[in-house]
Amino acid sequence: MAKRSFSITRRLTITLTGIVTLFWLMAAGFGMMVMQDEFTEIFDSALKETGERLMPLVVDDLLQQEASGGPRRLEAPTIAHGEDYLIYQVRDSGGSVILHSHDATQAPFDAPLQQGFHDTGDYRIYTAASVDGSIFVQIADAFDHRREAMIEGGFALLLPLLILLPASIFAIRFTVRRLLSPIDDLRLAIGTKDGGNMAPVERETLPPELQPIAHSVNLLLTRLRAALDAEREFAANSAHELRTPIAGALAQTQRLVEELPPGALQGRARQVETSLGKLARLSEKLLQLSRAEAGIGGGEPVDLSPILSLVIEDARRVPLAHGRLHVVPETFPPLERPVNSDAFAIVVRNLVENALLHSPPGSLVEIELQPQGVIRIVNQAAVLGSELLAGIRSRFIRGPTSAPGSGLGLAIVSSLVEQMGGELQLLSPAEGRQDGFEARIVLSGQTQR
Amino acid sequence: MRVLLVEDDAILGEAVHDHVAANGHAVDWFRLVDDARNAALTTNYGLILLDLRLPDGSGLSLLRGLRAKGDATPVIVLTAHDQISDRIEGLNSGADDYLVKPFDLGELTARMLAVSRRHGGSSVSIIRLAGLEIDQRSRSLRVDGREVLLSGREWSVLDTLCGRIGAIVSKTQIEEALYAFGSEIESNTVEVYVSRLRKKIGRDRVQTVRGVGYSLK
Repeated sequence: MAKRSFSITRRLTITLTGIVTLFWLMAAGFGMMVMQDEFTEIFDSALKETGERLMPLVVDDLLQQEASGGPRRLEAPTIAHGEDYLIYQVRDSGGSVILHSHDATQAPFDAPLQQGFHDTGDYRIYTAASVDGSIFVQIADAFDHRREAMIEGGFALLLPLLILLPASIFAIRFTVRRLLSPIDDLRLAIGTKDGGNMAPVERETLPPELQPIAHSVNLLLTRLRAALDAEREFAANSAHELRTPIAGALAQTQRLVEELPPGALQGRARQVETSLGKLARLSEKLLQLSRAEAGIGGGEPVDLSPILSLVIEDARRVPLAHGRLHVVPETFPPLERPVNSDAFAIVVRNLVENALLHSPPGSLVEIELQPQGVIRIVNQAAVLGSELLAGIRSRFIRGPTSAPGSGLGLAIVSSLVEQMGGELQLLSPAEGRQDGFEARIVLSGQTQR
Repeated sequence: MRVLLVEDDAILGEAVHDHVAANGHAVDWFRLVDDARNAALTTNYGLILLDLRLPDGSGLSLLRGLRAKGDATPVIVLTAHDQISDRIEGLNSGADDYLVKPFDLGELTARMLAVSRRHGGSSVSIIRLAGLEIDQRSRSLRVDGREVLLSGREWSVLDTLCGRIGAIVSKTQIEEALYAFGSEIESNTVEVYVSRLRKKIGRDRVQTVRGVGYSLK
């Protein structure tokens, strides 16, 4: 299964938020540890001070009272002001409870009669002893009280985190996006590069960290441009080098046919002429294919309507096309598209040639430029099967026809239209007809990305 | 008419030369831009067949130079460059037509005829003129319904006169159309062939404008 990929912005936002949260939690934990120590110190200090201040008062009070024989319980204050945090017992040297606060038990605390602190399960107890060692005051502070204070303190530390976390995510996301915008710009700039746009990427406006990337991309583009130029140059030169000798051979053979008297020799010369004609057509298609493979499709925006007119004018001169081309509208409106004009000419030339070759002699071939910039070329051929229609763009695949052809035309057209960022639609029967073959070129007005 | 052929490929050049000559035109064949430029500046051609990629430069520079000097001689570009951009550049430089190699010689003849007719202001391939029926495409001639055969030189003279029917064609223009047939042009060569033509198509049909030239009526 393919690993799911996340954007850098998302990763940075999650990572930074996680790190900030972790640090905050660590800081809060450390703070709580310190706070616990301090709280213990403060509570213990309060406990000790209370015991020592209470002791003289208790001793004085006991001296003025007769022993009652049982522990006395102090009444709760008449004005209730909540549960007291501290409770106490006054015990004699035998351990008996002489006096206790109103909310303390009559049973003695489980703490030795010894000056100092002692912990029980529920309380921290401080024992203060009278000077003669006969009276002990034990002040108890519930652990629940201390835990409550700690929880409230800890909550006070964590509460801002809960509020600030969403704000922090938003702030991190905003900052990351802003800081990463040069990367996004660079990505977009590189994304626009294709066979038709190999202009260098703008470097000066990029941050220093990204400039080496742009520099490397520009170097690569330069090398690619040189390689593509060489390939295109080679295709163009090959065309020249190949066409001229074929033209010479064909012309000489045609002269031979003219000069020979009618007979077997002239027949042979005609066969040579026919073969040379086939060779010329095949070489033409192979040269077009090599140019398509060199990626000549894209380009700067150009008005295609004069090129369309020129190609149709050429097609009209071919004997096969005499009186057969029906062009709509008669004058084409401007059609500006970011494509290479030569590639466009090759596309239209091939489609018109196919439409003429593979339809009944004398039948009309319609060429229409629709207002949205869609070019339709429709003939009156027999309907093609869906299987054949699906595979007819492949090289050397031909329909059920005896007409001459290489089986390369639609493959060339398909490849070039794709490079132009357009779409080649093939329909059979043609739209609105019971028969016919329709080729439709849909060229986007946008530069190919 | 007299045709200037500029083509550096020997095999193709020879075939085109022979074909055009076989159609009754006088042909001067050059392989270099410089030679062709000199010829075009000193001779009045009826048509130029121009290759673009030549050993000493581009045929387009020759074409632009001619047009810049006001030379309106019709030019058909013969080239192996099939790209539409090359073609547009060629037409924008002043070419009258554009033929991509390899081409059919019959197609070349048709284009030459079409360009010549367009240049001469005529748009028909068969000229009918008071009992004359001249089919330039098939190079056949009928006089009062009777087929008449003409020699290559006689066709050349008639072709030159057909280029400007009713107007005066100078003796020099006819001389240049005859020049490339190889033989020396004597001082009375034009008169000899005009006289032969008159015998075949009728004396009154070619009128002499004394001291200026001839006119086909």
